[in-house]
Amino acid sequence: MLDARSALFETADVVVANCRLNETQDFTLTQVAGPDKLLAKLLGKLPPKVGLAVERDGRTLLRIGPKQMWVVGDAPQAVENIYTTPLSSGRSRFHIQGADARRVLQSLAFVDFHAAAFKVGAFVQTGVHHIPVLIHCIGADQFHVYVLRSFAQDMWEWISDAMRS
Amino acid sequence: MSAFKRLGEGGRLDRSKALSFTFDGARLSGYAGDTLASALLANGKLIVGRSFKYHRPRGIVAAGVEEPNALVTLGAGATQEPNSISTMIALAEGLETRSQNAWPSPRFDVMAVNSLLSPFLGAGFYYKTFMGPLKRSWMWYEPLIRNAAGLGVANPEKSSTRYDTTYGFCDVLVVGSGATGLSAALVAARAGLRVVMAEQDFAWGGGLLSQSNEALEYWRTAALAELRACPDVRLLASTTVQGIYDGEQAVLQTGPRLEILRARTIVVATGAIERPLVFPNNDRPGVMLASAVRTYLNRFALAPSSRAVVLTNNDTAYQTAFELAERGVAVTVAELRASPTGDLLAKAAQLGIAIFPRTGVADVVEEKGERLVRLAGRHSVTIGCDVLAMSGGWNPIVHLTSHTGSKPVYDEKIAAFVPGILPKGMFAAGSGAGQFGILTAIRDGERVALAALKALDVAAAKKSVDLPALREDREYAIDPVWGEASRTGKCFVDFQNDVTTMDVQSAHQEGFHSVEHLKRYTTLGMGTDQGKTSNINAIGMMAALRGLDIAATGTTTFRPPFSPLTIGAIAGRSVGAHFRPVRRSPMHRWHEQNGAVFIEAGLWKRAWYYRWAGDAPETAYIQEMQLVRSGVGIADVSTLGKIDVQGPDAGEFLNRVYVNGFAKLPVGKARYGVMLNDDGVVLDDGTTSRISEQLYYMTTTTAQAGEVMSWLEYLLQCHWTDLDVHVASLTDEWGGMAVSGPKSRQALELAFPQDDLSNETLPYMGVKDIVFDGVTVRVLRLSFSGELAYEVHCPARYATSLWEHILRAAEPLGIKPYGLEALASLRIEKGHVAGLELDHRNTLDDLGLGKLASTTKPYVGQALRFRETLQEPLRWSLVGLELLEPEKKLRGASILFAASDAIKGHGRGYVTSVTWSVELQKFIALGLYQGGLKHEGEEIIAAFPLKNEHVRLKIVSPHFIDKAGVRLHA
Repeated sequence: MLDARSALFETADVVVANCRLNETQDFTLTQVAGPDKLLAKLLGKLPPKVGLAVERDGRTLLRIGPKQMWVVGDAPQAVENIYTTPLSSGRSRFHIQGADARRVLQSLAFVDFHAAAFKVGAFVQTGVHHIPVLIHCIGADQFHVYVLRSFAQDMWEWISDAMRS
Repeated sequence: MSAFKRLGEGGRLDRSKALSFTFDGARLSGYAGDTLASALLANGKLIVGRSFKYHRPRGIVAAGVEEPNALVTLGAGATQEPNSISTMIALAEGLETRSQNAWPSPRFDVMAVNSLLSPFLGAGFYYKTFMGPLKRSWMWYEPLIRNAAGLGVANPEKSSTRYDTTYGFCDVLVVGSGATGLSAALVAARAGLRVVMAEQDFAWGGGLLSQSNEALEYWRTAALAELRACPDVRLLASTTVQGIYDGEQAVLQTGPRLEILRARTIVVATGAIERPLVFPNNDRPGVMLASAVRTYLNRFALAPSSRAVVLTNNDTAYQTAFELAERGVAVTVAELRASPTGDLLAKAAQLGIAIFPRTGVADVVEEKGERLVRLAGRHSVTIGCDVLAMSGGWNPIVHLTSHTGSKPVYDEKIAAFVPGILPKGMFAAGSGAGQFGILTAIRDGERVALAALKALDVAAAKKSVDLPALREDREYAIDPVWGEASRTGKCFVDFQNDVTTMDVQSAHQEGFHSVEHLKRYTTLGMGTDQGKTSNINAIGMMAALRGLDIAATGTTTFRPPFSPLTIGAIAGRSVGAHFRPVRRSPMHRWHEQNGAVFIEAGLWKRAWYYRWAGDAPETAYIQEMQLVRSGVGIADVSTLGKIDVQGPDAGEFLNRVYVNGFAKLPVGKARYGVMLNDDGVVLDDGTTSRISEQLYYMTTTTAQAGEVMSWLEYLLQCHWTDLDVHVASLTDEWGGMAVSGPKSRQALELAFPQDDLSNETLPYMGVKDIVFDGVTVRVLRLSFSGELAYEVHCPARYATSLWEHILRAAEPLGIKPYGLEALASLRIEKGHVAGLELDHRNTLDDLGLGKLASTTKPYVGQALRFRETLQEPLRWSLVGLELLEPEKKLRGASILFAASDAIKGHGRGYVTSVTWSVELQKFIALGLYQGGLKHEGEEIIAAFPLKNEHVRLKIVSPHFIDKAGVRLHA
């Protein structure tokens, strides 16, 4: 029987002071591309601009580029002129939470993670330790970090290490 | 007697916290609030090191970051840090410090013999003298010279310090926490902005800390309290702004931590540095900046033991003279000007200070343990003293504003350079902008902060900055004096690099007139202090020698960092295992647990070979090759680039990208393709499979995966916007494994018994998606090895599980994993080109792939492919090579020569890839050779100069095995 495996060697949570890092597996991520009109028809009202995410019908829609969405949740049905690419295996998803979470993130990426600048629902596609990541603010002090699977172990170690700074 | 005495009261010390530290092994003590420098002075340590070149005894000159002499080594072993500025180090319990460039001690230094040779060691001496007699003589002399001169020694061990980098953002960055900085920060904070105030000192207040005025202290304390209460104000002490870059980006250093800060506006309130005066033996220990003497008095409660001489050309040094006199020190002022203004004379008379106008210093000597200052000019007298406090005027710190490319401009009125026109969003204020005086600084700080608010389109708070109850500032008055050569002793312009007025004169005489040439010729302004105390005096001297004004002479270029910082701080956490990111395949853990030895391939860690095949790579890969040639092996190919290409125009898109036709590729088929850059040179190769009408699955080489993806995006977004095509990287989404060897079909039939994988349903270059255990598995009948072979791809999260399943299922066939070395060697036998041949310099024809290109459709790179230089008949092109001397070894990268050639130079080509052939039982290789296969059958020479090896080779076809492709189609 085939079983799904994490990209991490160890998946135990890392807790340092007021910050917890853990992996959240078993998510479905699909990249959906096509004209906005058709995307809206398929997915509902879309986030107005790149860098914003909305919750819709049990899914999270992240507008990652012009005519491009990430859909976290049930994969949308195939529709003509809409192009879907499953990415669930290609990304590991980390959850960072706690009062120090923003401080930890601030040590990782050249992005303004101040609560006034990076609000719930915002996300950013940036680089951490030369690795492309998507960081999504899902709560006041809670964040998802999507990282390419091949870099996941390295990124896990890098973030864990940053938490100890 | 000690030059300084610790006063019984006063200063900003916590006398309840005595701290113990060591200097050159001696245990000493100080107080919390001391710097290392102040604690050394309190302990009577006037000589703290030896000079760079002449090994002259040197003492503390300054009280701030400009200190050129008192550099020490902190810690030892893994924590050792050289060239630390003792005036900036907060004293801490157990601090271990050592002097530099002195042996056995700063007081008695053997290399002081250099001083006797000093008449011969002027600027340029080494470079002129140590060039001969042989061509490479300098290489022999250099280490000896370096041992005899220099600063501290870098830590030879791995540092145990934890360095780090972080990032920050703010609306206003205020650099400096003196009167100007505090004022500016208050204005910005009251407007509700995010403010960062960075102060290089461990205490807040900048120059205010050297003052003794109670009203001012109240103002400082109140300002800080207000700032601390603001939630969006970050106060960063012990933090140096090391550089300012484009886009209001600043690099802040706090000990081992760097912060890269993006500020919307920057207020530079860095203050000014006092200039030394240049006179004979002005480097003697006990000769200090007047402002430093004042700082040691007011901040550290250290007064000269009984007598001080103040030498000045401006009014500001009088405050030092007055405060010393008020503490009972006998003060004499040597005034270079005709006379100071009347109120200073009156106060001096009131305090019993003797003033000698039009008088300078002719020499400083030590006789019988006493420091004697020989005055010259209108008054020629010799005065004994503990300290000579000098002031040559003030230099606004223009380093940070200069980092942005803004040239400082000379202000005649203050005889100093001030910041030039600054970029938008950057402001300079206070003494850093030539606005001297405390009230002036506070007002100027407020002024520029309001300008910053305006730039940010933010309204200011109604409350303005309160002024402390002080008398209005005196107008700054100075008669500039730059220095000239003297016969009575060395007049140092640059203490740290031992540059004297004679050196500046030599530079001028030898034609090094530009300040940039002066710097290189004499080393003036180099070193850890970057000329903070020396540059302007030298420029003034050179201007006088050239008969120019200072503005026309200009300054050298100030570059980051502002003060010394360690390489460790720059590297941050990117060291050791984190030197660069590591990329791992989905099956990495399995490989690790099953005897794989890894090799780096770009950022990837790839299984190089497995221990089942042997412990040495030279033999293990041969075992693994034999397994594939005779049975079945499995290799991890997850690192291949994989790209999803979708849309109604996907076929047309691929048809344009590849040199060969893809428009008619049937569903269920794969095709090998080559793509060119638009310059006609090969970019990459790989296979693309048609999964459905509008869905294609492209694979690229591991090395070019990112580049190809970017290229495709570029073409779609910039050139072919009319095509309805979407691409997405699947490299991380899909894991891949090559199942290769004559028994590979049997292996897959055992693994997937429910699916028909026969030659009829899945012929060579066929593709089939099957569902196994609920998971989509893509089976591609491709071969890199030349054997019957398949690639099996599946979503990466299932890849390890699938890998284990195939190994278990095919165990009866003897399946085992094989690594990258065998994978790459098998393809050499087959004659497949790979990354070593696809090096962005070769054309289709160079690689023997010219016939692949379509003649009936256009493709990227087609036009430039045929340009003359790429069609030149003697281009290096692909050949196979066989070793003719079986007892020898053929090495990769060997240079190829014709048999009749002299073995020298770049030859006629080189070996790109080499392997032991398990089939031919000899070393074979692929290479690029001038004229390529036109020379087939010829004997040539491969030279490996690093080992002085020459071997004979024969040029053959690059296809060493199964030229008819029988095995592939089995």
